[in-house]
Amino acid sequence: MAMAMAMAFSLSKSLSSLFLPSRSQPSLVSPPSLQLPVKKASTRVSSSLTTADEITAVTCPSLAYANTLFFKSGVYNAQVVVAEDEPEEKLLSRFRRAVFLAGVIQECRRRMFFESSQDKKKRKAREASQRNRKSCRGCDSSVKSTHLEAIKRFWKPYVVRRRPQPKVSAQEETPKKKDDEEDDNWELPEGDLS
Amino acid sequence: PKVGSRRNGRSGARKSARRIPKGVIHVQASFNNTIVTVTDVRGRVISWSSAGTCGFRGTRRGTPFAAQTAAGNAIRAVVDQGMQRAEVMIKGPGLGRDGALRAIRRSGILFRFVRDVTPMPHNGCRPPKKRRV
Repeated sequence: MAMAMAMAFSLSKSLSSLFLPSRSQPSLVSPPSLQLPVKKASTRVSSSLTTADEITAVTCPSLAYANTLFFKSGVYNAQVVVAEDEPEEKLLSRFRRAVFLAGVIQECRRRMFFESSQDKKKRKAREASQRNRKSCRGCDSSVKSTHLEAIKRFWKPYVVRRRPQPKVSAQEETPKKKDDEEDDNWELPEGDLS
Repeated sequence: PKVGSRRNGRSGARKSARRIPKGVIHVQASFNNTIVTVTDVRGRVISWSSAGTCGFRGTRRGTPFAAQTAAGNAIRAVVDQGMQRAEVMIKGPGLGRDGALRAIRRSGILFRFVRDVTPMPHNGCRPPKKRRV
């Protein structure tokens, strides 16, 4: 418990406030193509971000995927450091963006009512399709498949659960059937009956 | 909950004498209401206000404008006691989040951090069943 807290504290030291882990995706390590270039004056961007994340992802995986940040003053999901002369609208939009990146509102709505395993499956499928569509939106169709493959390859070490692949099994079945039909001997043997 | 103030005797009579330069503003924004509580750094409540106590009733309590008035009320009571700096902690998914933050910004209190402290269970208690409306 103390070790976990110490890890969290060291982790929080090297993180800036906007690079927050999100619950739905493996956090803290984002593929270079999907990384959002964030340039804000009042937030610190740590250059040692990836090394600290990799370390925690390996040593304490449950902590690495947690959605909360632990600081001396308390646990929080998102934090925005306010400059002195910041216009109100800018602060609001920055805070809203931080909260959106942390996935707080989505998570709240999900946990308001109980969701059965069916609902959970539907939600996960919806999220996955949205993620795939979003990541391929910028590229044309020729690059889409390779992009998807690249993403799958990148996320593969983090995906623990097995995904059902009905399409592949269907494709496997049809060539098998054809082979069986070809092997069947429908023709009569040559030669006379004598 | 910080225990230990009992040794000083009842603090109710000494409320007006307290001068707190730094405090924490908690905003709890649910879908139906917004409650703004101003506490000191340790968490002891100084004053509070909510959309309901500001005179709004029913569906209007959940609006961002009601949150604005609630935040304004709470901070006005505390600025008289000499609070200059604060931290803002926002909790809950309601519409009052933005409204309260706007009012706090306009009130003139300097705040360095705005934090979201919505409690997230790590898959804890089972939530109530789905509504069939």
